Amino acid sequence: MKHRQYKNPVGVGKYTGLLLISPFIAGFILFTLYPFVCSFVLGMTDYRSAGEPKFIGLENYKTMLSSENFRKALGVTLKYAAILVPLKLIVSLLTALLLNLEIKGIGFFRTAFYIPSILGANLAVVIMWQYLFTADGLVNQFLELFGASPVSWYGNPDASIYIIILLRLWEFGSTMIIFLAALRDIPRELYDAAKVDGCGCIRSFFSITLPQIKKVIFINLILQTISALQEFNAPYMITGGGPLRSTYTVGMLIYDEMFKYSEAGYANAVSWVLFAVIALAVGLMYLVTGRRERDRS
Amino acid sequence: MKKLPVYLVMILLSAVMLYPLLWLLGASFKSNREIFSSVWFIPESIDFDIWKNAWKTVTPYTMGHYFINTFKIIIPKIIFAVTSSVLVAYGFSRFDFPLKKFFSALLVIGMLMPAIVKIMPMFLFWRDTGLLDTYVPLVFPALLAEEGMFIFILIRFFDSVPREFDEAARIDGCGTLRTLFLVLLPCIKPAVTSIAVFTFLWTMNDFLNPLIIIQSVEKYPLSLALRLSVDSTGQSYEQCRIIAVSVIGLIPSVAVFALAQKKFVSGITAGGLSG
Amino acid sequence: MKKIISLITAFCCMAVFTACKKKNDRAITPADGKLDKCTLRFSWWGDDERHKATLEAIELWNSIHPEIEIISEYGGWDGWTEKVSSQMSGGTEPDIIQINYDWLATLSPDGDSFYNLNDLSKQLDLSGFDKEILSFGEVDGKLNAVTVSVTGRGLFYNSDVYENLGAEFPQTWDELISLGDIFSQNGIYPLDLDIQSGGTAWYLAIVYVQQITGRDFISMDGKLGFTADDIRMALDFYKKLEDHGVIRTIQTRTDEDGNAALYQSPEFIEGNVAGVLEWGSSVGKYEAVLPEGALKTGPFLTTEDGTSSGWMIKPSMLYAVSGNTEYPDEAAAFINFLLNNSECARILGTTRGIPASRYAHESLEQNGLLTGLAYESDSMLDNLDTVTISPYMELPRMKEFYNTAIEQVSYDLCDTKTAADEMYTSVSEYLDRLK
Repeated sequence: MKHRQYKNPVGVGKYTGLLLISPFIAGFILFTLYPFVCSFVLGMTDYRSAGEPKFIGLENYKTMLSSENFRKALGVTLKYAAILVPLKLIVSLLTALLLNLEIKGIGFFRTAFYIPSILGANLAVVIMWQYLFTADGLVNQFLELFGASPVSWYGNPDASIYIIILLRLWEFGSTMIIFLAALRDIPRELYDAAKVDGCGCIRSFFSITLPQIKKVIFINLILQTISALQEFNAPYMITGGGPLRSTYTVGMLIYDEMFKYSEAGYANAVSWVLFAVIALAVGLMYLVTGRRERDRS
Repeated sequence: MKKLPVYLVMILLSAVMLYPLLWLLGASFKSNREIFSSVWFIPESIDFDIWKNAWKTVTPYTMGHYFINTFKIIIPKIIFAVTSSVLVAYGFSRFDFPLKKFFSALLVIGMLMPAIVKIMPMFLFWRDTGLLDTYVPLVFPALLAEEGMFIFILIRFFDSVPREFDEAARIDGCGTLRTLFLVLLPCIKPAVTSIAVFTFLWTMNDFLNPLIIIQSVEKYPLSLALRLSVDSTGQSYEQCRIIAVSVIGLIPSVAVFALAQKKFVSGITAGGLSG
Repeated sequence: MKKIISLITAFCCMAVFTACKKKNDRAITPADGKLDKCTLRFSWWGDDERHKATLEAIELWNSIHPEIEIISEYGGWDGWTEKVSSQMSGGTEPDIIQINYDWLATLSPDGDSFYNLNDLSKQLDLSGFDKEILSFGEVDGKLNAVTVSVTGRGLFYNSDVYENLGAEFPQTWDELISLGDIFSQNGIYPLDLDIQSGGTAWYLAIVYVQQITGRDFISMDGKLGFTADDIRMALDFYKKLEDHGVIRTIQTRTDEDGNAALYQSPEFIEGNVAGVLEWGSSVGKYEAVLPEGALKTGPFLTTEDGTSSGWMIKPSMLYAVSGNTEYPDEAAAFINFLLNNSECARILGTTRGIPASRYAHESLEQNGLLTGLAYESDSMLDNLDTVTISPYMELPRMKEFYNTAIEQVSYDLCDTKTAADEMYTSVSEYLDRLK
């Protein structure tokens, strides 16, 4: 360890890299480590917005374990992420492929496809979703057209999560952009060579496109998993967490405990558990892909 | 002719994507009654007074003032975020240094914590520095590469640029920074553009942070000004006014995206490396 | 490396605790009875009307007291609680704050976070207020805030629908229930109750039980007055309303309206739901989406033998002075101006509800500004034997307990006894913990 060799270009010392990442180190200490430690400490107190915080050790974590609301929220969050993330990756990759075509007016289409993401959980979206999914909304009218019976979307605790998933699926813009940037980085010659070899579209997708962008797929997977597990705004606006807490995510629980119920101590403790859950999920993804890489080489 | 089905699919999809925006535009001219009873976007009558009032606001300032405030935050923030993330990502991707693995792990860990827990400690921190009610707390973190996700994305894009490019540049006598700016940056332009665009859009929409940091109405950014008149506990509720205001807020985001989307594709050719 | 990390950790811990504590080290500035030259910050939330009127009132103040400059900080309701509670925990709150009723319990549980306004009587004239109304702002015997206006929930009906069906507005609970039977034949509901942030479902149920038993749900100092059986009676009553088609079940309501408020619901706008239980101070929104003059005030329901007690009132908002202010006299003088000055009252009108101060009330009367549904409903309440809503009843956590119980009963997940017992336990545990 002492005499480790640093693989750097000629004339570059081992501290150049450190110097380059120094803003990150400073930022990490100030804007990540400091609030983390604060939150960890607060998580072991009964801090509320008024009065002195009292140290109560692991009490908040015990409360959490026995809290049915927390367990339910965790279940909802995991289910939500497990369904949303793969769907979103597929949809955004497919649209990115579509938008990578060179046809007239592509700029307009690119902008159009990104617009839902700009809207976020804007009021317009909330009202739109009501027109779509309420009892005699467009979706149910459409179903009836085909003789299917109408679905109770908002009121049925088993269905409500799907209208939120659909909302976030519809807002695939950011994921799509990252894919689009990656697709543009694939050298054209690879496709030209494939064409000469007589490969069709689908084959060149699997043998050229996918391997070329697999790293970006992985980034998107990680980023989407993180943001899905932290979800709070969409259910907050669309369903308010109901009915029967069927769309009440851990992110909402933290927000409510922190600001609505002013239980900052408990809210911080829950954040740490959510942190652990996300870390576990991301860690697993690294492990699985890392092993694959090694198997291949 | 082969492209016809592609166009059909695209047009259909765009309609689904664009409809809410059209509806929003129409709804800004509708009465509350009309808004909640019709999904069709064309209003019964058009009255531009709503827009005029929305632009004027009840505050001593017009929306234009809040636009300028927002740009006072966004422009430095984009410059800082892009510069710092590029430098850091460059360091991670191209150089070897002590504790590199440790810092890479920190980078990922930093992204995992729910951002909401940062709000209170950071509020107290900025209070102690005496910088509350200024834009510093909203801009400064970008200078220190606060957004781990940006670095994370950029590292992968840097990694995809062949090392031979750097070596060639070094042989030509370029130093560390010149290699970055002259050779590598042009190659990852799409990724850099997307970071700038993300910063723009997220800052535009950011509500909770400015709400807690900014006190004076004079300094409100657009996101706060947009919600000035929304009071669900109150007597009146003029939906169209609120919608008109939110359309005003969406215009810059849509415009910036429409302008920037070309850049996502121009990366490689602009770098002159296609051949 | 480990050393560095542990050092940083220790540093952060210290920072957290000093940050949390700092606030309490500040001394309270005593009142000196004089008005000095100073700048004061005043914050409120509201809609355009309120902003416009308040800014105008402040202009008037500046022309009278140019030496005391008021800086206004205002915004919409969304996020405002978050903003004020962070300011309070950081000690950076404005000098004068418009507060919501339940903030007294969350932000000043021992009555020390806000200035004791009894100490400022030199500048603040409280003679225009009822003793009872003043007591709304007291915490632990300290006058933390002054009530700006008092409001209560009243019943408002879409009179067009009632006329079409040849029905009269109900006078008693029994009449309400039989209306459900008649209306449901036409697929119409005479009333709407919700379990969203309004929580009117539980509100009406406790009015009913309070009227029958004469017991208050929660006392002003946060003691549960209901027994588990009382709670069950309330839940049974709610279920009865659903069963008789007086209101939609939660599932039907959610399916039809999503997460929207009733005044945004096509069902209400088109007259399929013909009544609402709402604060007098918020009814304008419902009035605006119906044809002009359609929404009318209905009588407060009574029992068959005419008992009309049990209906509730609360301050719709209050003014408080920060405990950290350096200029208590000046802040008190400004509040006095907002509450009692007759010219100011004319400018503010009813943008903060019907003023509780007698002086402001008189001014509005002279200027003919006291009209409309809100005024009608609030003055009808004035003549009833009302119960004051405890600030503890309005706490968001408590609302969650009520709504959970109602939801369980509505979805038939458990019987009313189980739901009532569960709610009794969680409510009493929570109230104990707050003490």
